[in-house]
Order: sequence, then C-alpha cells, then structure tokens
Amino acid sequence: MNKTSSRLAPAAEACAQPAIAFDGVRLDFGGKCVVDGLSFTVAPGEFACVVGPSGCGKTTLLRLVTGLLSPTRGEVRRLGVTVDGPSRDVAIVFQDYGRALLPWRTAAGNIALALEAMGVPRLARAERVAALLDKVGLAGHGDKYPAQLSGGMQQRVQIARCLAQGPRVLLMDEPFGALDALTRQALQDEIARLVRDSGATVLFVTHDLDEAIYLGDRVFALQANPGRLAEVIDVGLPRPRDQLRTREHPEFLRLRHVLFDHVQKTH
Amino acid sequence: MSNWSLRAGSVLVTLSILLLWQLVTTTGLVQPIFLPSPSSTFANLLRGLTRGDLLALTISTMERMIHGWTLASLGGILLGALIGLSQRARYWLTPTLELLRPLPASTLLPVGIALFGLHPNMLLGIIAFGAIWPVLLPTIHGFSAIDPRLREVAKNLGIGPLAFALKFGLPNALPDVTAGMRLSLTACLIITVVGEMITAQQGLGSTIIMAARSFRSTDLYGGIVLLGAVGAANNALLGLVERALTPWRRARA
Amino acid sequence: MSRRHIDIVLRALPAWLVPLAFLGIIELAMRASSIESDGLALPSQTAAALLGLITDGEIFLRTAETIGAIAVGVPIGGTLGLLLGVWLGLSPTAARLASLSIELFRPIPPVAVIPLMMLIYGLGIRMEAAIIAFACFWPMLLLTRDAVLGVEPRLIEVARILGLPRRKQITKIALPAAVPRIFTALRLTLGIALIVAVTTEIAANPIGIGYAIISAGLSLRPEVMYAFLVWLAILGWLLNESLIAMHRRLFGAAYGDAAT
Repeated sequence: MNKTSSRLAPAAEACAQPAIAFDGVRLDFGGKCVVDGLSFTVAPGEFACVVGPSGCGKTTLLRLVTGLLSPTRGEVRRLGVTVDGPSRDVAIVFQDYGRALLPWRTAAGNIALALEAMGVPRLARAERVAALLDKVGLAGHGDKYPAQLSGGMQQRVQIARCLAQGPRVLLMDEPFGALDALTRQALQDEIARLVRDSGATVLFVTHDLDEAIYLGDRVFALQANPGRLAEVIDVGLPRPRDQLRTREHPEFLRLRHVLFDHVQKTH
Repeated sequence: MSNWSLRAGSVLVTLSILLLWQLVTTTGLVQPIFLPSPSSTFANLLRGLTRGDLLALTISTMERMIHGWTLASLGGILLGALIGLSQRARYWLTPTLELLRPLPASTLLPVGIALFGLHPNMLLGIIAFGAIWPVLLPTIHGFSAIDPRLREVAKNLGIGPLAFALKFGLPNALPDVTAGMRLSLTACLIITVVGEMITAQQGLGSTIIMAARSFRSTDLYGGIVLLGAVGAANNALLGLVERALTPWRRARA
Repeated sequence: MSRRHIDIVLRALPAWLVPLAFLGIIELAMRASSIESDGLALPSQTAAALLGLITDGEIFLRTAETIGAIAVGVPIGGTLGLLLGVWLGLSPTAARLASLSIELFRPIPPVAVIPLMMLIYGLGIRMEAAIIAFACFWPMLLLTRDAVLGVEPRLIEVARILGLPRRKQITKIALPAAVPRIFTALRLTLGIALIVAVTTEIAANPIGIGYAIISAGLSLRPEVMYAFLVWLAILGWLLNESLIAMHRRLFGAAYGDAAT
C-alpha cells in the first residue's frame, strides 16, 4: 500500500512517544454509551483524519483529546501524559466559526486573545498578530469585525487564533463543513501547508471522504452505536498534494472506493 | 418622495401642530388658563431660563436624576455580573427578584418616606433602587447567556474567571446593559419628578405641581417642555454612548 | 400547563424558600430586638392587615378605583396609538413625516402631565384616566408600528403575486400577521397603565391603591402600607401572567409558541 513516498511512515505505532494515544476508552454520556473500546495512536507530526456517520462520536473524540470531556473508562494520553484538562498545547478549530469568534473583537483582537491567555506582553502581540494575519492570507483585514468578514475569512481568523497558541496538537472539527466548495478547496491546501510548516500533529474530523483522503496521512473510519473504530487506512499519496492531480491519482480513487464501500456497509 | 423633501415635510408637520396650538388659543376656542398659546409659553420659558430660577431648577432635577442613575447603573452592573456569572446565585435569587420586580418604583417613595422621612438622600436612594431593575435584569441575562462555544474557547485557552468576566462576560452583556441603562435613565427621570412632587424638594417636579395648584399655566407648560427636553437629551446622549461602546453592532457587512 | 412547565416549576421550588426565609428572619429579628419604627411592620402584622383589608372589602374598593381609571384611559390612549401605529407601519411616507413630531413629543415623561391634567380636570378618575391615556398612547403607537413593520416581507410578496388589491393585502395579510405582536404591545401597555395609575395616585390623586399606600404610610400604619404593596405586586404579576397565558391560547397554535 505504501508504494509511493509519503512524508511519514504510516507505521506510526512504532514511534516511542505518540502525540495522541487512546487506550481502551469508553465514554458514557447521559446514561448512553457514546464511544467504546477506542484504542489507537497518532504519531507526532502526523495528519490523521476521522470519518464516520453522524452519531459515531467524531466530535466526542476531539473533546476527549482537549480534556473538555473525561473518559468513563480507559485513558487518553497526549505526548505520553494522561489528559486531565485543557492545555494550550492543544488548539481546536470549531466548525461553527460564527459562534467561536468573539463578535465584539476585530480579527486582530480575536487572534490576540490567544496571546493574552498565554501572557504575551502587549508590545510583542501586535507584531505576532500581524504575522499570523499574513500567514492565513488576511493581511489588511485585521481591524474588521467578524460580522464584516465572509465565512471563509472568519474560519481563517479562527485558524490563526489556534496557530497563535503554537499548538503541538491541532484538532479540527469539520472546519470546512459550512463553506462553499471553492473556499473549502483553497483552505484545504492552506491548512496542509500551515500544518507542514508548524510541525503540529493534526486530528481532523470530517464527513467528507474525499477531504479525508486528500488531507490525511491516515484515515480512521468510525462506526456508530456505540462509536468505535472500524478501520484504519494508510494514505500513501505523494505530497504536496494537488486539487486536480491528487484527486485523479489511481491510488486516490482506489482508497475512495475502499472507504466508500466501508461506509456503505456500516451505515 | 425624496429623502430631503420627506425631512422638510416632517418639519412642516411639527410646525403645523404648533400653528394649530396657536390658532386654538388665539381664537379663544380653549381658555388660556388650560392651554396658553405657544408664543406666550416659549416667551415665558425663555424669561424663566435667563432671568428666573428655571435653569437652576432644571439643573437640580438633572443632578438628582444623574446621581440616581449612576448609582443604579453601577449597582445593577456589579450585582448583575455576580448573579449572571454564577449559575448557583441565579438559581437561588431568581424567584426573589421575580417577586420584587413587578412593584412600580414610585411605590417605594411612600416606603422611603415612612422609613427615613423626607431626607434628600432618601429620595436619591429611592431613585437608585427603583431604577436598578432595568439594568440588573439585562445584565444578569447578558452575563449568563454566553454562547457555550465561547465558553469552550475560553476553557481551551485556559482563561481564568476574572479574565473571563472581563473579556467574555462584559462585552457579551454590553448591548443588553446599555439598552437597560437607557431605560433606567428614563425611569430615573420619572421617579425624580414624582419624588420632587411628593417631597416638595427643589426641582422641576415640585415646580410644575405648584404651578398647577396656583393656576400658573404658562409656568406649568414651560416646565413640561423642559422635562421633555431633558428626556430628549437623555435619549440622544444614550444613543451616542451605546454606539460608542458597542461598535461591533454597527459592523454588519 | 404542560409537563415541561410543571418540571420547571418543581425545579425552582427550593429557591422560592429564599424570600420566605428572608421574611421569617425579619420577623424573628424584629421580635427579638423589639425595634419600634413608624416605617416598619412585622411580616405577620402585614399578613393580618392584608386579610383584614380583604374581609372588610376595602382592598377591592381601592382596586376598583384604580382599575376603573385604567379601564377608561387605556381604551382611549391605546386605540389612538393603535390606529396611528398601524397607519405609520403601513405607510413609510407617513412614518417619515411624523418622525420629528414623535421625537419631540415622545420624551415628555408621563408624570409631567399629572399637574396638567390636574389643572384641566381637577382631581378624580377623569384626570387619572387622561394621564393613563397619554402614557399608553406612545408605547402602543411605537410597538404597533414596529409590529406592522415586522411582518415578514415574504408574506407581502406572496400577497402581491396572488394579485390581491392593496386593501386586501392589508386586511388579509399584514394585519393578521401583526396581531400577535400587537397583543404583546397591549400587554406591555397595560403594565405601564398600572404603573402610571398607581404613580398618579401616589403623587396627587386621592383615590385607588396608590393613595391607599401613601396615606397609610403618612398616617403611620405601615402594616397597611405593606399589605397594599403586596397586593399590588400580586395584581401586577397576575395581570402579566394571565395576558401571557391568553396570548399562548390565542396564538400558540397558529403562530408558533413565541408568547414572550
């Protein structure tokens, strides 16, 4: 499967200290078992995508990594340490950017929030905010309020705020789900570039199988009731990836079939 | 019709109302003791403001109103923030607040008089207490109704409770708070005027009721015009404050 | 009341002990310290006074006077406000032409016309009704205008596509669509009417609940004063809640449950 040269060896389990490790995790919520028997690891610097039907616990998975939720049984570890609460090492990009940005702060102010939380002195903030705005392609839009920005631009602001944390783990919860197709493709390429530059480990939740294959080093397919891991697929497509060539690559089409059949089966 | 002609028309409508007022009085349709003509009302008003003590009376009413409003706003925002940020406080205090709320603020005046007598500070306290509700309730709402997603963002960034109150709670509550402060200022003016009427403390309220009792109708109408002007100034000022404090509300793409 | 409502009430039940406990503490503290003040009354004395006012019927007499003034004033001021509000809501030109006059006259506090009506009508129910009419005119006007302006523009488009003449667009689409919000305007206006009535009675007019409150206070019968206050709070609460319930019953099914 791994015929073409990929950035990382898919045999991530072999790494000594995985960035994220789930160990027999079960979570009950409201008297219902949401996820059960989850065991997997993600290697440092790996881009892991999570797909599955609605109600399979994709979002729950991310909340367990952030520490916003704690497992009922089992253990979640980040960089070898058991998760017991939110940490600034972990950033999360929410799908509903409209609700995750402070409406009363400008784009620059929203990004600065992360720096304020980290105790970066006022004088150093402006320069770093400007650099981040530039990085996500929003130079010149810093003093606009979220309501004045398009959906794609708002999501860029949220991504910039997460990058401002300098996270070692970046969690993304269907970040492009609410955007139109063209904006989504542009942001896919951008996030791939930004992540490669930062070296962060990514756990990327999506319901779009193509997106998962296009972005991921590996794709975790979950199934529902209760949410559990059904299959792990290594993506051996060459990087950097390209919207046209990668999507026409025979390997892309083959993986797409595998994943599609799998989702059909478990739905 | 164009924008400009509509504005001119709106001025014309107002002028014709004043003209009607003048006509009704000069033709003797209504006795001047009930309705003095606008010309004599405004002439009298001008005289009172420049040579009489009307200006001083207006200022003392406004002072009372502003002092009461400041107390009500500060109290309402502080108390509202504390109650709004704590789910437990909200649970235990909501029924008590619900019980106290429907009482008209003016009913506090007899209670204040019975408890403390006709002290000037009593009146100020009643104004502040009566006008606290329009600030308190929206502030509680503004501080408690923070989007759960923003709470997650704050938790994820490790933002502490004080910073959360200042950076999330306060701006989230600000539109509600400023709207409440506007209502509160109106309430302050009303309670101030009634309070002056009852306690006969110096101000426009006591002036107009004395004018009515002694059938000095031009003084009465002058006082009403001044109170209307104070009300209008309040609205204009608060509109400015509102826009300055919540710039993001205007920033719709 | 639905299951959900009962659940909400039951969950809030312990918190209702707070005001009760507060009253209990006042009762005990006052008994223990034996404070004598002309402005204070034991909660138990207040309850007894309330019972006495109910049994000898005085409270109903006073309430009838206040309600009577409201019953005269609200229809006058409310109807005028309603008609003008509908007109301004339907015609943007009329709204623009009236805007300056409204901006100039609207800020006059209703209590400022108390002496004026005293001058014209003397004391009594007529003067109070006139003040209530003035006070109710403005909120009814503005809220009705907003209610008509707030009618979903799609509905008007539908009416125009159906080729309804202008008059039918108004009677069949715009007004029925605005009715629930106009009812809300009426509820708020009635609340204002009660406040203005009591305030007028406290400030000048020797009838009704307001006068009962201030005269009890001035004649050093604080327990009667507090009894009337409690009664007034109950009255205001009942008025508001019953109108909300009525709103739900009238419009709940057809317009969705957005009573408040």
